[in-house]
Amino acid sequence: MVRFLHTSDWQLGMRRHFLDEGAQERYAQARFDAVRALGRIARDEDCRFMLVCGDAFESNQVDRRTVARALEALRDVPVPVYLLPGNHDPLNEASVYRSATFLERKPPHVHVIENSEPVLVAEGVELAGAPWLSRRPAANPVYEALRAPAPAAGVVRVFAGHGAVDRFTPAGDAPGLIAVADLEGAVAEGRAHFIALGDRHSLTELGAGGRIWYSGTPEATDFDEVRSGRALVVEVGPAGAAAREVAVGGWRFVERARVDLNAADDIAALRLELGGLEQKACTVVRLNLVGTLSLALAAALQHELDAARELFASFEVRDGGLVVTPDDPDFADLGFSGFADATVRRLRERIEGGGEEGRVARDALMLLVRLAKEAV
Amino acid sequence: MRFVRLRVANYRGLAHAEVAFGPAGITLVQGPNEAGKSSLREAVGLLFDYPDNSRHRRIDAVKPVHRDEGPEVELEAESGPYAFTYFKRFTKRPETRLTVRAPRPENLTGREAHDRALAILQETLDYDLWRALIIEQGDAIRQPELGSQRSLSAALDRASGGRPADPREDSLFDKVRAEYLAYFTGERGAERRELADARQALADGEAAAAALRQALGELEADAERAAALGRELAQLERQEAELAREQAAHAADLEEIERLEKACSEAGLRLQTAQKSEQVAGRDLKERGALIEATERAAAELDRLEKADAESRPALTRAEAGLKEAQRAFGEADGRRKEAEAHAARRRDDFDFFNNQLNLDQLRERQGRIDAARASAGQAEAELARNHVTDRALKAIQEAERGLLEASARQRTEAPEVTLRGLAAVQLDVDGREVRLEKGGTRTLAVTETTRLALPGVLEVEIAAGAGAGAMVREVEEARRILAAACAKAGVADPDAARQAFEERREARRVADAVGQVEKDNLRDLTYDELDRKVRGLAAAVAEYRAKRPADPPMSPDLGAAKRERAEAETRLKEATGRWESARAALEAARGVWDELNAEHQARRVQRELFAGERDKANGSLERARAAAADDALAAALEAAERVVADTAAAVRAAETSLQAKNPDKVRALAETAAGSLRTVQQRRAAAQTELTEVRTRLKIRGEEGLHEKLRQAEIDLERRRAETGALLRRAAAARCLFETMREEREQARRAYVAPLKEKIEGLGRLVFDPTFAVEVSEELRIESRTLGGVTVPFDSLSGGTREQLSLVFRAACAMIVAGEGGMPLILDDALGYTDPERLRLMGAVLARAARECQIVIFTCLPDRYAAIGDATVVAI
Repeated sequence: MVRFLHTSDWQLGMRRHFLDEGAQERYAQARFDAVRALGRIARDEDCRFMLVCGDAFESNQVDRRTVARALEALRDVPVPVYLLPGNHDPLNEASVYRSATFLERKPPHVHVIENSEPVLVAEGVELAGAPWLSRRPAANPVYEALRAPAPAAGVVRVFAGHGAVDRFTPAGDAPGLIAVADLEGAVAEGRAHFIALGDRHSLTELGAGGRIWYSGTPEATDFDEVRSGRALVVEVGPAGAAAREVAVGGWRFVERARVDLNAADDIAALRLELGGLEQKACTVVRLNLVGTLSLALAAALQHELDAARELFASFEVRDGGLVVTPDDPDFADLGFSGFADATVRRLRERIEGGGEEGRVARDALMLLVRLAKEAV
Repeated sequence: MRFVRLRVANYRGLAHAEVAFGPAGITLVQGPNEAGKSSLREAVGLLFDYPDNSRHRRIDAVKPVHRDEGPEVELEAESGPYAFTYFKRFTKRPETRLTVRAPRPENLTGREAHDRALAILQETLDYDLWRALIIEQGDAIRQPELGSQRSLSAALDRASGGRPADPREDSLFDKVRAEYLAYFTGERGAERRELADARQALADGEAAAAALRQALGELEADAERAAALGRELAQLERQEAELAREQAAHAADLEEIERLEKACSEAGLRLQTAQKSEQVAGRDLKERGALIEATERAAAELDRLEKADAESRPALTRAEAGLKEAQRAFGEADGRRKEAEAHAARRRDDFDFFNNQLNLDQLRERQGRIDAARASAGQAEAELARNHVTDRALKAIQEAERGLLEASARQRTEAPEVTLRGLAAVQLDVDGREVRLEKGGTRTLAVTETTRLALPGVLEVEIAAGAGAGAMVREVEEARRILAAACAKAGVADPDAARQAFEERREARRVADAVGQVEKDNLRDLTYDELDRKVRGLAAAVAEYRAKRPADPPMSPDLGAAKRERAEAETRLKEATGRWESARAALEAARGVWDELNAEHQARRVQRELFAGERDKANGSLERARAAAADDALAAALEAAERVVADTAAAVRAAETSLQAKNPDKVRALAETAAGSLRTVQQRRAAAQTELTEVRTRLKIRGEEGLHEKLRQAEIDLERRRAETGALLRRAAAARCLFETMREEREQARRAYVAPLKEKIEGLGRLVFDPTFAVEVSEELRIESRTLGGVTVPFDSLSGGTREQLSLVFRAACAMIVAGEGGMPLILDDALGYTDPERLRLMGAVLARAARECQIVIFTCLPDRYAAIGDATVVAI
């Protein structure tokens, strides 16, 4: 029996477009912190080593500082760390693992899996990895690695791989697709006792009696992830394996696919919901607004959204489905007459005409309402 | 519109106040300051503008200070066809009540009343202008500064912008313009720099991201390329090793082939040497044979020639004899012919001589005749020269003679005649002339005048004729003188001599004329000189021939003999010449025969000598050659050489066979191909190695720049900027759209006011100034300038008084154009403080004039100032 920490897809150096500069820095820092957190977990869980199944770096072309900060974080990890090059950071000529910064600063307990030769990582435990040597290999390196002879009797072999599996990805959509059945076959034949996978950011079990797993990313990266921000503590022996998930990251991605807004109540409800979200500084929000609002309500909504935008790490609003129409009540209190009234009439005619001109006219009309109200 | 009555209650400091306006024209409201004049004016505006429940601060502002009551405003007014009373109580127990009395009664309350009141205003007057003027008048009332016409446009803006009169606020239009100017410069609408900058920044961001994307793409391509190159290098190395092995195998084969080729070429060389020796031997033998043959041929030819010479010699001798004989015969014939020729020539000369002589005689005869004729002619010519008795001379003489005879006859007839009869011969002297009178002889003397007869020594008788005789005598004398003159002129003595001479002259003329015919007959075609030369030449030739001719043969006796002998001589010559011709032909033939034979003989002689020399030379050569090598030895040498050639050729064939067995072409081709392939592979390997080094260098240089993160960041920045720029542009577009639309509407509204305003202003102004008065009204509804007597002055340059007057005119004009009928009430608050008394009087006229079209309310604490306003209702509060 051996216990180790299975993680992957750190994606160090990742930048998200929806984050402003400050949030981006916090987000980046959170990922380095996650490495340290993993180190603490490994220590606390008494793991013999940490296995990173690919994409530790977002790209081979990450900034030198990112590499330096990653190695600094790794230095704090108290157990040996095995890094498997994945499709984002393949071990090619331009590999980050061959960069001067990496080679100079790599602590001795950090190892890069450079080929599929099994290495002894503990008494009676072999680690075999399938590193990516190119961004677009003809076939997933796993297949090459799985051809290795079965381990000696009594030796536990942990297999590390990286790539999409056919169960979640249609064939042809990604290079180096892995068929789950092939992995299960390898496990069944005793050529691997546990297959640790990377690439999928959601923690996922693939079957074979809990012996094939995606660990998912330790810090969430996108809205479509299911169980991200975790890692697996794996215990494996010749007879069986047990994997237990542990929470690591603190960031959340929250998306509301459809928020209906047609009345003042709807706006109030939205305000309440947003107010209820915790850890706003580490929360990325995306709203898809649908409905029809008067100018006054639209202004109120805008007010709410502006307030929320200041709180969340990112606050993205898609309002393509939201229609703002100038209603008669919008103007009733303004007491327009003369040319001001004529201006309103002409703009409304143009709005009805639609198109780009209509959109500009609508903006113009809203501006007029705002300016008129400011005059009160 | 006309105010009838206005009442306020619980309004600011006023508990209650009411003004009843005059039925028409001017109402002068008299009261101390702070009596609530401005409150009354303000109340009208609030009444129409705000609903009774309005919380507007302007409503708050008019709440009574110390009472908890709602301010009340009640207006009784007429507008167009309407007559109504409108009441409102604000805030506290709000209430609105509208009682319309005309054109038909209406009673409304609450919001309905409010709306109806507005509707009536909008129906009966220019609502915006009305509201603007309400605002404007409020300003004017409070403003110490005069010339307040300037704020009408702003007031209209505020009226249209929905904000009731609060002059401290910016108008809506100004706000719209300010918003617009935040994005665009000036009203022509150039984008402000920040818009352009935003666009540029966006473009820059896109370019930067694209550059990074490309750099990253290149980097990734390099990484892939490096891997590919690694694989290619391994493959090339394998190929290179294989090709090197192949090349080594070919090298051994090539060595063997080279050895065989060398053997081949050596054998070939030996064969060439042997063949050369064989050729030499063969040639030697052939040359010997030729030499022997030449010797023999020369001997045979010589022999033949000598034989032929001997055979032809007698014929040559014969031909020589024949030739000589012919020469001799020809000499003889030639002599004879020459002799005959000489003789014939002699005889021809003789004949010619005789001919010449004959000819000479004839010519001489002709010449003699001519000479004789010429001599006669010469004498005749002399006669002619001497004899002058021509036909005419003769005729004159004979005429004169006849005259004398006739005169003499008449004298004799009439004159005494003396007849002398000789009795003895006597010598008489008659008139000095001796006359012999024979005995018996008689002589009659006609005495014409005086005749003297004298017997010498004896007697002298003088007979004198009578007087008539004298005339006769003179007549005869005259005739005689004429005759004598004619004769003298002809050179004759008397008429008979003349007649004789005339005959002689005629004969001489005939002779002289005859000489021409004689010459013609005898000269024929010659001239005399030619004839003479011929005669002389012939005479000389005849004389010479005769002198020179040899005696033998004797000369022919005459011309006929000569002719005969000449013919004979010619015949003999012809015969001699015929014989000479024959002899000559015979000679030619003989010479021809001899020449031919002799030429043959000579040719043969030369050939003989030639062949003799050749034979001797050939003999010499042959002897020398034989001395060097015997004929037999040469044949043996050839045989030996032929054997060597055959042997060597066999050796060559053998060597070639073994070479071909190795298939050298194929081996070489394969070896070359292998070498070429090896070079290619090496080059490719070197190229791949170089490229790999380059790629690795690039990767090393760029690999750690963090391109991925930079790109992502650039893309994020770009997206953000795009959103920002989009929002900015959208705001700018909205501001522009709003501004442009509103400006258009506003300008259109303004333009509608300009013309009527100007018309009214000028109409009123002419009352104050003079008929040349005119103003310029801008679209901002301001008086820009005043023109008076053709002089235009900007408004601001006018004096304070003039400005005040113009402002008043302006306001009156405004009040007049608010509604088609009755205008709106013009409210004045102690206006015209700057106006001098004279002008004040004129302004009074203006107000009086304006009051015909609109109601005028003047608040004042100095009623005296308005003494000149004509009819007015005076009210005190």
